[in-house]
Amino acid sequence: MKHCSLGRFFKGMNLTVFTLVMVFLYIPILILIIFSFNDAKIITGWKGFTFKYYILLLENKTILEAFRNTMLIAGLSTLISTILGVLGALGLEYHKFNGRKLFSALIYVPLVIPDILMGVSLALLFNFTRVNTGMLTVLIAHITFCVSYTIIVIRSRLEGFDYSLVEAAMDLGAKPATIFWKIKFPLIMPGIIAAALLAFTLSIDDFIITFFTSGRGFDTLPIYVEGAIRRGTITTINSLSTIMIGLTLLLVVTTKRIRKIVISSL
Amino acid sequence: MKNLPSANPNYALQLATERRKNFTSWILTAPALLWLIFFFLVPYLIVIIYSFLTADIYDVKFEFTLDAYRQSFTPAYMHTFYLSFRLALLTTLLCLLLGFPVAYYIARAKDKVKNNLLIFIIIPFWTNLIIRIFSWRIFLAYNGVLNNLLLGLGLISKPLEIMRTDLAVILVMVYVYLPYMILPLYSVLEKLDWTLLNAAMDLGANEVKSFFRITLPLSKEGIFAGGLLVFIPALGSYLIPQLVGNQRSLYLGQVITYKVKNIPRNWPMASALSLTLLLIVALFLLLIYFLYRRGKFRKQV
Repeated sequence: MKHCSLGRFFKGMNLTVFTLVMVFLYIPILILIIFSFNDAKIITGWKGFTFKYYILLLENKTILEAFRNTMLIAGLSTLISTILGVLGALGLEYHKFNGRKLFSALIYVPLVIPDILMGVSLALLFNFTRVNTGMLTVLIAHITFCVSYTIIVIRSRLEGFDYSLVEAAMDLGAKPATIFWKIKFPLIMPGIIAAALLAFTLSIDDFIITFFTSGRGFDTLPIYVEGAIRRGTITTINSLSTIMIGLTLLLVVTTKRIRKIVISSL
Repeated sequence: MKNLPSANPNYALQLATERRKNFTSWILTAPALLWLIFFFLVPYLIVIIYSFLTADIYDVKFEFTLDAYRQSFTPAYMHTFYLSFRLALLTTLLCLLLGFPVAYYIARAKDKVKNNLLIFIIIPFWTNLIIRIFSWRIFLAYNGVLNNLLLGLGLISKPLEIMRTDLAVILVMVYVYLPYMILPLYSVLEKLDWTLLNAAMDLGANEVKSFFRITLPLSKEGIFAGGLLVFIPALGSYLIPQLVGNQRSLYLGQVITYKVKNIPRNWPMASALSLTLLLIVALFLLLIYFLYRRGKFRKQV
């Protein structure tokens, strides 16, 4: 009997902790969303429902520009880091060349050191080389922290690759180019999509490395939000945050669908 | 003669193919490799060089000195290191303590429910970092939601001052890094062979015993992975202490950032502190690596 009650206690504890963690994870976000509709300048209490701050948001040129910058940087760094990732992963998988292990190790280093170190080192690089900080330097920085992730994700897809397929195609007289586009590429496509998605999210989310590599006059959304919090213009941040959370939800839901489509199409 | 490899036409062909394959591999990896060399390795060389230079208000003077290192090891900066280390360790432990039951609960849930529960962990993980921090500011502020609620319920007579304290920093750190702990723990627990647990129970072990003897040792990999994912970024975090902490207790990330961004700048100091942080991280990784290896070795024995 003691056995049984102890088991129940364990299960009950796990459920309790799970519920508490869920409350912990979602309460602040929910409050933020609710207060984005609050008709008050400060957060003291509920003063009635309003869409005012969403309209103010759309009229704010600085925010719109920061949004445009974020998307531009995320789009370009995703494109370039994914191309570098595909090539790098294929090269690493294609042949065991000298120095392959060293390169593999180098790919993992950026993932296991704090972001701030990459920020500092790039800031000093741009100072040393007298490059003016701005859009270009931010783009370079974002590609640098994305490229490790894209190589790793695409490579993991190649690792499960069935080379007997290639051999069969070669036996049947297929050209290397045909083999690549007809067999390899479709098989690593889900890996490429996953890598691109990851790069895009990482780029949108980054604050610290952008903070070190962007000059005055080039703000991404996280940089703008941080500045606004410091200045105390909180109300538009609520509505901006709510929109960004909405976009995150959309991304989580749609990528689940994309993954399903990709998997079922194979 | 036929047996000599050089005279064997097959071998020559093989060698040629080998060389061509080698070349193709190099060409394919070259862009990514060069990118990482120029924008990841070279910047660190510059950090090393700068750490030996003399600070200037806006820039550096190219005069060799060890001042930056000498200053890094004064009690004031040692205290900064200590604070950051303590924060990272506390965050990791709390994440493990909260994350384990959650990962366990999801791993043991029914297959259909599992994915939906996981989504609940992934959503905050994908939400913008700065927004998650900002939401806590609204929640914990002096005239914020928590204080209004507690005042309204009559549980407190005057607002609690949680914002801008170390407590707020640790709370938000745990909040932000918890998914990084739960996800690797879940992926290990999900693959765990539960029949082992049932067997142990049948043999008379109780839940507590079988948990410490079976579940915990078998989820070691997840604990290490989660620990790395939480501890290392926590060591250098800037944004969380900056937005919810106070200026009395500065953490390493803040000190480094101020030295780079604020005037008067002190880039040699920022470089020396960064390199020290890098060294600590490297030592920590080595420690984890050896612990992990020893665990594996024992399993084989």
